[in-house]
Amino acid sequence: MRQYFIHRLMLNVPVVFLVVTLVFLMGHARPDFAEQRAAQGLSSTQDYEAAIKAIRHELGTDRPLWEQYGVYLRDTFTGDFGTSFITHHSVTSELGDRLAPSVELGALQIAIALAISIPIGIISAVRQDSWMDYVLRLLAVVGLAIPSFFLGTLLLLFATKLAGWTPPLVPTAYRELWEDPAANLKMMLLPALAGGFAQAAVIMRLLRSELLDVLRQDYVRTAWSKGLAERAVVARHVLRNALGPVVTVLGLMIGILFGGNVVLESMFAIPGAGQFLVISLRQNDFPVVQGVVLIIATALVTTNLIVDLSYGWLDPRIRYGRAA
Amino acid sequence: MSGQASGASTIGHELPVLSQPDTGAGERLDTRGAARKLLRLAVRKPLGTLGVAIIAALALVAVTAPIASRYAPDESFTRRNPGFDPTSTDYYRTDRNEFVLDAKSAPSMDHWLGTDDAGRDIWSRIVWGTRRSLGIGVAALAVSLTIGAALGIVSGYFGGLIDTVMQRFMDALQAFPALLILILAASAFELTLRNLVLALGFVGIAQVSRLVRGKVLSIRAMPFIEAGRVIGASDLRLMVFHILPNTAGTIIVVFTMGLGTVILAEASLSFLALTPPGVSWGQMLNSGRNFINSSPWQAVFSGLAITLAVLAFNLAGDALRDVLDPRLRV
Repeated sequence: MRQYFIHRLMLNVPVVFLVVTLVFLMGHARPDFAEQRAAQGLSSTQDYEAAIKAIRHELGTDRPLWEQYGVYLRDTFTGDFGTSFITHHSVTSELGDRLAPSVELGALQIAIALAISIPIGIISAVRQDSWMDYVLRLLAVVGLAIPSFFLGTLLLLFATKLAGWTPPLVPTAYRELWEDPAANLKMMLLPALAGGFAQAAVIMRLLRSELLDVLRQDYVRTAWSKGLAERAVVARHVLRNALGPVVTVLGLMIGILFGGNVVLESMFAIPGAGQFLVISLRQNDFPVVQGVVLIIATALVTTNLIVDLSYGWLDPRIRYGRAA
Repeated sequence: MSGQASGASTIGHELPVLSQPDTGAGERLDTRGAARKLLRLAVRKPLGTLGVAIIAALALVAVTAPIASRYAPDESFTRRNPGFDPTSTDYYRTDRNEFVLDAKSAPSMDHWLGTDDAGRDIWSRIVWGTRRSLGIGVAALAVSLTIGAALGIVSGYFGGLIDTVMQRFMDALQAFPALLILILAASAFELTLRNLVLALGFVGIAQVSRLVRGKVLSIRAMPFIEAGRVIGASDLRLMVFHILPNTAGTIIVVFTMGLGTVILAEASLSFLALTPPGVSWGQMLNSGRNFINSSPWQAVFSGLAITLAVLAFNLAGDALRDVLDPRLRV
């Protein structure tokens, strides 16, 4: 186990390193771009050239590229992700306030996705090729194709037309979960459903094919022939063995959710990391965009590592010694 | 799953995969036989056939956009003002205008899908959006396929250290949610159509190279590659003339499935207004949300267009995979 752990960890170091380098290179794709954007806020009476020079010195972009890269690496790995052009606060502290809503939204989406997909996946697999199976599979196929922001729009439309209810769509209406749970969940409901449905389709399809695999195993036949009830066979013998790949996908899904929630958070005025990213982008606040992307990417690589490890823990047949 | 990267040490133990039965590309039967074969395939894969049919319709609409659209996408329509009163002296009321903007009208014979807030024909804009979505999608995939296939073939063919390094690099690319790379690119580069296509293409490289590499690993183990090497063919020759043609099935599948993904990504970006200006589905959906309660037509129809296109490519891709390269199941 320890050997496997170290092996996976070593594999992830270059990945993080490459991500950091990629973000650095993107930042230097257009020379002077960041400086010009930073200088946009200057009043016109100031000497433009001198101002640019001062900013360049402050940002350190007057130094050679490799030196900047060194400084950048040092800063990044010591947790300094830069300073916002607009608020002049550090990106880390700006982002810190906005992580809770994003994490909450992601958790709600995964909970909804699991609550929908696990029963549906089981029904679809156990009643394979029945009309119910076909209907559920068709729903999943459509669910995969619907963009979450369209689903969100439709939910908004239905909520207004059918239920006569519209969630507050202004960021000032947002309250943290521990401050005012009702107000919080009111705003979270629709984006959580929109994101959850889409992921439910992915999980359901995977779970179904895994279940079908397991249902054909010898030990399942043994369980049937022992005279166990269907419920016992499925819940105790089949489901547990089909869940491994689902866990892996859940890990990958966190990344997809983060990406998709950039759109959903902007749509539903949820003041999370995704909305912060879009707002910063519109304000040309480049260090923030870079920093947020970097933090999210690092978090994802770490999550994937944890998932890889838990996969082995859930299914002891996985041999850790084998090169993964 | 793509999360499980196979390291260099497993390559040597890769079992040679038996060549798949010929799917009919090689045999030149009479046309009736071929047609019957196609028909049988269509019956066996009804959903895939539906997907292909939708793709064909979308492609037709995209190609014939100037005719199919009926109106120019930016033409503002007006309608006769029912309350028009030329004798009115009240300058503050619109009653003095004989024509008013035909905005947010419901679907009718004149405007099949209604009009938007600026009085423009939604059908026309959806049609031009089809051309844009498909165009950007095909161009972006051409980029991913060219680079991704080249990297995948080199990586799989040589194996060893090259393979390991390349696969780690692809890991890094895939660890990033695609939308985040695209947002980063939108902040770092100018918003032009060329940059958009390059960014979308770049995002797809990792997936393409992974799948192509997997295919190359099994091709490499086949006797004809060994035979080629025995008669003195160079590595380059083997890769270009012997391995590349054999990855065609994989590439077709990756292309079809990838188009759905790219169209979705482009729609997300244009929904966030991070694409160069132009008529696009994502942007229509986004602006349609502003008046969704008074006139849902624009938001609903543009959203349906995105869904339909993605659905069609997913269905066709699934079916093509089952037929051409069942091993690709991911």
